[in-house]
Amino acid sequence: MLTYLMRRILLMIPTLLGITMVVFAVMALSPGGISPQSLVDGAMKPNQRQALMDYYNKRYGLDDPAPVQYLRWLNNVSPIGFTTNEKHEITDFSLTKGSDLGTSFAYGRPVSEVLAERIPITLLLNVLTIPLIYIVAIVMGVKAASESGSRFDVSSNIAMLALWSIPTMLAGVLLLGFFANVQHWQWFPTAGIGSRAAQDMPYMPHWNSIQDALKFFGGMIAGTLLMVWLSRWPESKIRIVIAALFGLVASVAMAQDHGQQSIAVWVLIPLLGMLSVGGLAAINYTPLRVLGLGTFGLIVGGALAYQTLDQGFVRGFLMDRAWHLVLPIICMSYGGSAALTKIIRSSVLENLNADYARTARAKGLSQKEVLWGHVFRNSLLPLITIIAGLLPSLLAGSLIVENIFSINGMGQLAVEAVKNRDRELVLSITLISGFLTLIGYLIADILYTFADPRVAYD
Amino acid sequence: MSLLDVRNLRTYINTHTGSVQAVDGVSFKINQGETLCLVGESGSGKSITALSILQLFPKGLVSHPTGEIWLQGSGLLPEVLHSPKADLAAKRLSYAKRAVSYYRDESESTPPEDSVNLLQLSEEQLEQVRGDQIAMIFQEPMTSLNPVFTIGDQIAEALSIHEPELTAAEQESRVLQVLDQVQLPNPRERIHAFPHQLSGGQRQRVMIAMALICKPRLLIADEPTTALDVTVQAEILKLMRKLQEETGMGMLFITHDFGVVAEMAHQVGVMQHGRLVELGAKDQVLNHPQHHYTKQLLAAVPDNLIKQKSVVVEFKRPALDGSIDLKKAANQPEPLIQVRELSVWFPVKKGLWRRTVDHIKAVDKVSLTVEAGKIVALVGESGCGKTTLGRAIIQLERPTAGQVLLESTDLTQLSQSQLRQWRPKMQIAFQDPQSSLNPRLLVETTLTEPMKVHGIGHDQEERIEKAAQILEQVQLKREYLWRYPHEFSGGQKQRIGLARALVLNPRFIVCDEITSALDVSVQAEILELLLEIRAQQNLTLLFITHNIGVVEYLSDETVVMYKGQIVEQGSTDQVCHRPEHPYTQKLLAAVPRLKFA
Amino acid sequence: MTSFLKRWHKQAPKKIKINRPEFSKQEPVAAQKVEKPETLTQRVMKKALSGIGVKFGLVWVGILVIAAVFAPFLANSMPLVMSLHGQISFPVVHYLTLEDWVVLSAFGVMVLVWLLPIRHHIRVALVLLLTIPAIVGLLVHWKMPPKPLVIYDDFRQAPYTQADWRIMPPIPYAPKDYLRDYGDTGLEAPLAAQERTHLMGTEENGADVFSRMIHASRIALSIGIVATSISMVIGIIIGGLMGYFAGWVDMLGMRLLEIFEAIPTLFLLLTFVAFFGRSLYMMMIIIGVTSWSGYARYIRAEFLKLRKQDYVQAAVASGLPLSSILFRHMLPNGVAPLLVAASFGVASAILAEATLSFLGLGLVDEPSWGQMLDQAVKSSTFNWWMAVFPGGAIFMTVFAYNLIGESFRDAIDPKMSRRAGVSA
Repeated sequence: MLTYLMRRILLMIPTLLGITMVVFAVMALSPGGISPQSLVDGAMKPNQRQALMDYYNKRYGLDDPAPVQYLRWLNNVSPIGFTTNEKHEITDFSLTKGSDLGTSFAYGRPVSEVLAERIPITLLLNVLTIPLIYIVAIVMGVKAASESGSRFDVSSNIAMLALWSIPTMLAGVLLLGFFANVQHWQWFPTAGIGSRAAQDMPYMPHWNSIQDALKFFGGMIAGTLLMVWLSRWPESKIRIVIAALFGLVASVAMAQDHGQQSIAVWVLIPLLGMLSVGGLAAINYTPLRVLGLGTFGLIVGGALAYQTLDQGFVRGFLMDRAWHLVLPIICMSYGGSAALTKIIRSSVLENLNADYARTARAKGLSQKEVLWGHVFRNSLLPLITIIAGLLPSLLAGSLIVENIFSINGMGQLAVEAVKNRDRELVLSITLISGFLTLIGYLIADILYTFADPRVAYD
Repeated sequence: MSLLDVRNLRTYINTHTGSVQAVDGVSFKINQGETLCLVGESGSGKSITALSILQLFPKGLVSHPTGEIWLQGSGLLPEVLHSPKADLAAKRLSYAKRAVSYYRDESESTPPEDSVNLLQLSEEQLEQVRGDQIAMIFQEPMTSLNPVFTIGDQIAEALSIHEPELTAAEQESRVLQVLDQVQLPNPRERIHAFPHQLSGGQRQRVMIAMALICKPRLLIADEPTTALDVTVQAEILKLMRKLQEETGMGMLFITHDFGVVAEMAHQVGVMQHGRLVELGAKDQVLNHPQHHYTKQLLAAVPDNLIKQKSVVVEFKRPALDGSIDLKKAANQPEPLIQVRELSVWFPVKKGLWRRTVDHIKAVDKVSLTVEAGKIVALVGESGCGKTTLGRAIIQLERPTAGQVLLESTDLTQLSQSQLRQWRPKMQIAFQDPQSSLNPRLLVETTLTEPMKVHGIGHDQEERIEKAAQILEQVQLKREYLWRYPHEFSGGQKQRIGLARALVLNPRFIVCDEITSALDVSVQAEILELLLEIRAQQNLTLLFITHNIGVVEYLSDETVVMYKGQIVEQGSTDQVCHRPEHPYTQKLLAAVPRLKFA
Repeated sequence: MTSFLKRWHKQAPKKIKINRPEFSKQEPVAAQKVEKPETLTQRVMKKALSGIGVKFGLVWVGILVIAAVFAPFLANSMPLVMSLHGQISFPVVHYLTLEDWVVLSAFGVMVLVWLLPIRHHIRVALVLLLTIPAIVGLLVHWKMPPKPLVIYDDFRQAPYTQADWRIMPPIPYAPKDYLRDYGDTGLEAPLAAQERTHLMGTEENGADVFSRMIHASRIALSIGIVATSISMVIGIIIGGLMGYFAGWVDMLGMRLLEIFEAIPTLFLLLTFVAFFGRSLYMMMIIIGVTSWSGYARYIRAEFLKLRKQDYVQAAVASGLPLSSILFRHMLPNGVAPLLVAASFGVASAILAEATLSFLGLGLVDEPSWGQMLDQAVKSSTFNWWMAVFPGGAIFMTVFAYNLIGESFRDAIDPKMSRRAGVSA
């Protein structure tokens, strides 16, 4: 095992070199290349321009041939290497010089500093999104597999494929346009992950009077309970009709809140509300129905209670952050959970049809015990490979979501770095994401040895 | 009064295109301490019958238009038996039955006393019967055990369902006890082993232990030894007989091998197309079969084929012009292939730099002479290197060391392109009918392409004519030339595989287990065909197999391989009847045979 | 319609027949009726095409193809046909660009090739032959100086308005016709203005959204297909070499694969585009070059598996040449699952182009769906029609390709469903 690890880590070195070389080559070979011209923009007098260019050339060594530049960068990054002086001359060989990611062209600050600012934001988004993706996917996927061929399976399959096909930018633009816009509903903030005012607020939300707090929570709890009760109503027709009525009431209130009152809004919104809440009630998979209607009750109850508060309340830092993150997280999670649902479904299905599942049933285990006790564990094995891909994505961030919601995370940084042709930053991001990907693969392989006794490395 | 009483069972499998009658009106009884063997070829419905008893189908896959499966003394408590749920289930079933009352026949009589009809039990009730009253073991011991749990846990699981009152310590002692009973060595350590750490035979022992832990009264064994080597099979069969004597359980034993039937059965049922065509005591069925299908099946068993061998060949081809006499060919011993000190080693690489630290010696310094016109059988258990040797001889696997002389030319010294000239002289036919033909090519293309490459025939027309002749030679119709492989059955595919080997007029064909995947009757046809072709074309065959019966029937000489080396070779008669090497003796003793009075 | 097509599809009769009289000796005549055998491909196709989803997908792709090929006739500012002083002219045809001609003629020939009752391999050869002039044409077009700008305002003036009669295209606005002559140009919601009908409204500069959508379908389709073809060719070559030769070739190839997989695709794309420019052809090449790794991995695994198949071994044992083993026995059996991957690949290439355009790194001049979506975001107010229509088109196209891919995958190998990874 130890030799295996050593071997894998040694093999990572050429791959990492290759990754950075590919990206560096793209930059160096491109028309224009990594030249100071691209850094110096705007109207400037020729001599000023020349001076600035010389300055950049000297500072970053941009006038050297590309291979020299690459080797120099490599030397800087590698923890073991040569130490150099101001004029890029080699002075000494050191084993302990430490690695230096260099200085960003565009920001004029050390890359590590810039990264340290951005990483926590992306990390926050991902730490919230990933569990959500997994929970939804496991619930839906296992259900679909254990009822393969049923109506639930077929419809969830198509729905998941459709969800998977919705481009993130469309979802983002529409969510932002409809729910964070004066023209329609201004319920969510348009940009960023926190408002400036929230910086001075206390951490937890607090209400001016105890009554308000009670009202608020009471409303939410009442709404949830009511809807959960309704969702467990045995007769589906009655349930659907009542739920649709609730949907109608809620959506009429929603239409009233619309920024531009028009007949179309008054017709469309109630209709949509009725259909969607009625549709939730029509799902014949109880946990999902309870979850759906319960959430609906929670939201409506909370919103109604919020309207009746006597004195407003202070959101607090936490609520403010949560409020900002709702839309981005929806955008980041739906596609992933759709894809993962399909994977889990086929994996569980394959294992349900396996011989050992039949053996377990022959022992007298019930279908449910077989599913969760025997099949589920085996079905999770392919997911390990996917978990390997999570590690880099934790930091890589979603370029599109961060772009739409103006969140200053790693994704935004990557786009900016590439657009600015910021050599140091581009290479550092490549290196980090490449390194994380490879480490992810390694961790996945190690996890396999724990999860699957059949896998062993010498 | 019998333990299990199956009456007029029909099992229909519902597919997209309609329902398939997998089991069609089967009735039988099994008594305490008695074994009923269900025999039949693939697709005869014997496994479905077994699965029907325990209702181990995915939801909604099958329906039972008629049938009763009475288990005497189910051991179910009355309150469990007469829960509202169960009554509802019974009611539904009776409605369903009334709907198909057309199928009912008069034989349906009053239910036996103190019995429950398994088909009328609810899923919860069945769960109490499964594993506790009736246990089942399956064919493939590797895939039938959950790979991620230890065998101790998997065995104990059945206990924790059916005897939840046991403490952990009691459970463990029961598990150890049952592992001891199935003669698994070192049970105390093996309890923490995972299935993949055991050999095939040990896994099957674990499966049996798992089935026996709750002391069931009926054991259903679905081809439990088919995936095992003969020596292991003999041990498992012995074990099962011993366990039956100890516990007095009834057994439903499903197999396709009449040798196994002869060893295990008290009663024998023969199935064909979902029907039980013959049912009776073992001696009765094996010695005096009544139904013509049973007679056919028994005649096709290699043990019986031997008796008819000379008859068949002479009867089928009374006078063949231009054919070479069998005896004449055998009397002119002329070595066609000489294998000298042949080794095929596969490197084992380890460590940081992937250095070769060891070798797996698949074939280790093997010497062998194959004389022209003879059929040489290469026998051995799985993993002994017989297939690798066969492939190394025709240079599909380049050997590590040694020589292969074909007509005094050393093939191992030839480059790939030089070898191409020699390819037509030596051909190979494979085991798996599914993958032996390119699914995208017409049979015509598969057969004529090699001829074209090697310049046989002047034009395509001539080549097609020749291909058609060869198809006829392997007893297929000429118009099969214009079909694709997916339209053929397994036996037909094997024939086409043989035809492909024959089109190049080879002198030597390696037959790599070509009949192993086939039913006995088809196997018998293919074997006859091989003898005929050999007689017509003076072919030399290297027949690789694990089936001793086939060897005795087919081959002139027999070579026994064990762990990469040849342990015994000589004439078939000598090797099969006066074996010298202890391994050969063990192997021969393990072969289940039809014993005739 | 389908029966009509089937009639033409009949396989050409086999040149060589075995002499029939011989049959009758062995078999009764009834059993002799040699039916046209169903090939494996046909069987898979039949199975795959039986679903509703795949039909929906194919219909949508068909609509797109029609829209893309006939874009200048469907949405343009000039009349299709007009008669001026008794003289009939075809202004649209007059203003067709070289690109339009290439697309139209290629489509025409494709349809002809498909419908003519000729042998399959001649068909393939013809299609291959045609791609050469098409590529040359595109290259010439690429290097040629652009045509003088068309001034769309002219078509709403003098000679054109005085025509005796004229037939306008269904959408009488060109994608880049900003309606400057109207003066009051700007945003218009669908069907908002009385005097002009804009079915999907206009964007901020006054250009018709529907017209832009139709012309953008060209980009989506061509990028999807060309980029996927490029990446497939690279993937098949590299993966095939790795799978067949194994050993150190495999080792090196795997490192190369790892390198390309360790860089997030979108980031690699961004880098390429940012540094190499943004023309349509460059975009195709870049998307192709950055997404081959999946195909290579696929083909490698497939070849490693196929090499052990008995029929390949039998081909080796029969002394068939390497070319036959590779291209006759291995590749055709290995590419079927690859074609499924290709269907998903087209979807993700379309998505990639849209994403790049959305991030402002897409095509500069041509309207594309992603760029239109970007416009919707960048505009000061949110106008739903600017987001919903192009975004919906992207969704529908990606969905259609995914549906097609899904049903083919199920038809080829139900177990493969697991292997579809999470993609961006």
